[in-house]
Amino acid sequence: MSVLSVEHLSTQFTTDQGIVRAVRDVSFSVEKGEILGIVGESGSGKSVTMFSIMGLLAGNGTVTDGRIILDGEDLSPSAFSSEKEYEKKMCAVRGNQMAMIFQDPMTFLNPVLRIESQLVEPILNHTKLSRKEAVDRAIELMGKVGIPSPEKRIKQYPHQFSGGMRQRIIIAMALACNPKLIIADEPTTALDVTIQAQVLELISAIKDEFGSSVILITHDLGVVAQTCDRVAIMYGGKIVEQGSAEDIFYSPNHPYTKGLLGCVTNPESEFSEPLHPIPGSPPDLLKPPAGCPFLDRCPNAMRVCRDYMPETTVFSDSHFSRCWLNQKGGAAG
Amino acid sequence: MSEAILRVENCCTWFDVTRGLFAKKQIVKAVDNVSFQIFPGETFGLVGESGCGKSTLGRTIVKIYSPTSGKIFYKGEDISTLEGARTKAFRKQVQMIFQDPYASLDPRMTVGEIVREPMDIHGLHTAKEREERVVELLQIVGLKPDHIRRYPHEFSGGQRQRIGIARTLALDPEFIVCDEPISALDVSIQAQVINLLEEIQKKMGISYLFIAHDLSMVKHISDRIGVMYLGHIVETGPSHLLYSKPLHPYTRGLLSAVPIPDPRRAKERRRIALSGEIPSPINPKPCCPFATRCPNATEKCFQAMPPTVEVDGRQVACFLYEEGG
Repeated sequence: MSVLSVEHLSTQFTTDQGIVRAVRDVSFSVEKGEILGIVGESGSGKSVTMFSIMGLLAGNGTVTDGRIILDGEDLSPSAFSSEKEYEKKMCAVRGNQMAMIFQDPMTFLNPVLRIESQLVEPILNHTKLSRKEAVDRAIELMGKVGIPSPEKRIKQYPHQFSGGMRQRIIIAMALACNPKLIIADEPTTALDVTIQAQVLELISAIKDEFGSSVILITHDLGVVAQTCDRVAIMYGGKIVEQGSAEDIFYSPNHPYTKGLLGCVTNPESEFSEPLHPIPGSPPDLLKPPAGCPFLDRCPNAMRVCRDYMPETTVFSDSHFSRCWLNQKGGAAG
Repeated sequence: MSEAILRVENCCTWFDVTRGLFAKKQIVKAVDNVSFQIFPGETFGLVGESGCGKSTLGRTIVKIYSPTSGKIFYKGEDISTLEGARTKAFRKQVQMIFQDPYASLDPRMTVGEIVREPMDIHGLHTAKEREERVVELLQIVGLKPDHIRRYPHEFSGGQRQRIGIARTLALDPEFIVCDEPISALDVSIQAQVINLLEEIQKKMGISYLFIAHDLSMVKHISDRIGVMYLGHIVETGPSHLLYSKPLHPYTRGLLSAVPIPDPRRAKERRRIALSGEIPSPINPKPCCPFATRCPNATEKCFQAMPPTVEVDGRQVACFLYEEGG
């Protein structure tokens, strides 16, 4: 059984300019012990999907449709009688059954509290451990994520740690209650390459040791190739292609996936191959196109793409894509 | 070989960060004893992690900071001696593209005004010619002429970076310092900007100093690359050589940490894990800057600065390659 399954999720924000449909009909699942990569450009809806799952949407955001099932339990806002009930349930789930690692560690650590009180908080909230046991557990976690002399450093403040070390603290906080699912939202974007390599290795090691599943949100295809088992490609609030890492990198189907792969270079290749950028820029989700969101930038766009979103084409158990090019008679229809 | 357009000799840019009247002197050696050359029409890439001094070096070259010691020659002329009108003439030839297209454009100016401003300052062309030149520049960078009357907030990140590039080109510069021009952009937009920069170079024969931390893109655009670590250039060489056979232990570690977009290859390749982090640049010890993280470090590395030696057409500062070492 999947750890998390998301079915037909839609999320929108009410703004002064109108309604932004940030996530539109997104479905995916995460199996036990795997790393699922979600790739997309800024504004593609990848972070909003995760915030919808965690129940952390801003005040003007609502989940309008769809189901979110974590380990057999329905966590969609519509499954609760009131907002209060939902919030109460999510408070028990967040940090306990699922936890999140954020992009910028400094923003998510309280600068005026010692690491100790910040690390102990989730443990005290979700377990019956005494304060002393909780501190011991926190020190153990800091050791596990590779922070040297944790007994000493737990007394320090966030500003006394470097960026990489802060990200390790965030990871320790996420691990505090052995969550089934860890959502990592661009965990290495703010870090340097050598530190990024260390943090990615840590995330893989933790997945093996704690048996957690991980959703890794990123825009870096190199990071995906190195860490993820399966990949979902998001564009304009929709998942356009999903598959194993090998499917995506060696037999991409959707024109957007192909386009993304044409935008990156392999530093190991002998000669630099020319880049093939995708022309144009992403769609405005205030007025999302009725058909395929990639229409305006797609080299293969047809008339049918303008008005209708293509159905999902299944290539194998794990590889799906949504493009009219795969539909029989699509070109005519 | 032709004359270098830019020659940096033993350049040091230090900042005094001493706090308090009687406190011990604290000096950040952001750029320390750096030498390299850039030839006409060439792209020289400068890579390194944050805090290694690459942006400070770029700013020293365009005369935003003045070097503490050492010399920078542009077309054979020492830029630290330039004053008044000659500085203005220098700035006309040497321009800069900034990292953040949101912060580097004045939100109260229209695109036309932004692109025209450098020409106004330098008194180039007549008013009518300027207008025509603005339209021409916008077309070169792939924007439409009717964008002239719009404001920066109406554009996406990639388009703003194009506006910045158009402004940079307004004075027909011969040398452009690109300080992380793509790191604030999305992947598909990065490739657009890189292609644009390459096109411009082909058309106008401009030399670039391309500063970035994205090693794959730097390799793609650069002819030669310098690797910086803690204020020093540890290795310089042609980009394909540097990537295929890195010499300095830091270059090796850095390159093996770059994620490559190929899952099978990513699984089988061996990573040289660099443990630890960059030491503080305040009052650094007079030894190899990389010694604390280096897997090949010997006692010697903690005692003296390694000299820069020539190996296989590259300059590398490491005791491993010293004569008889």
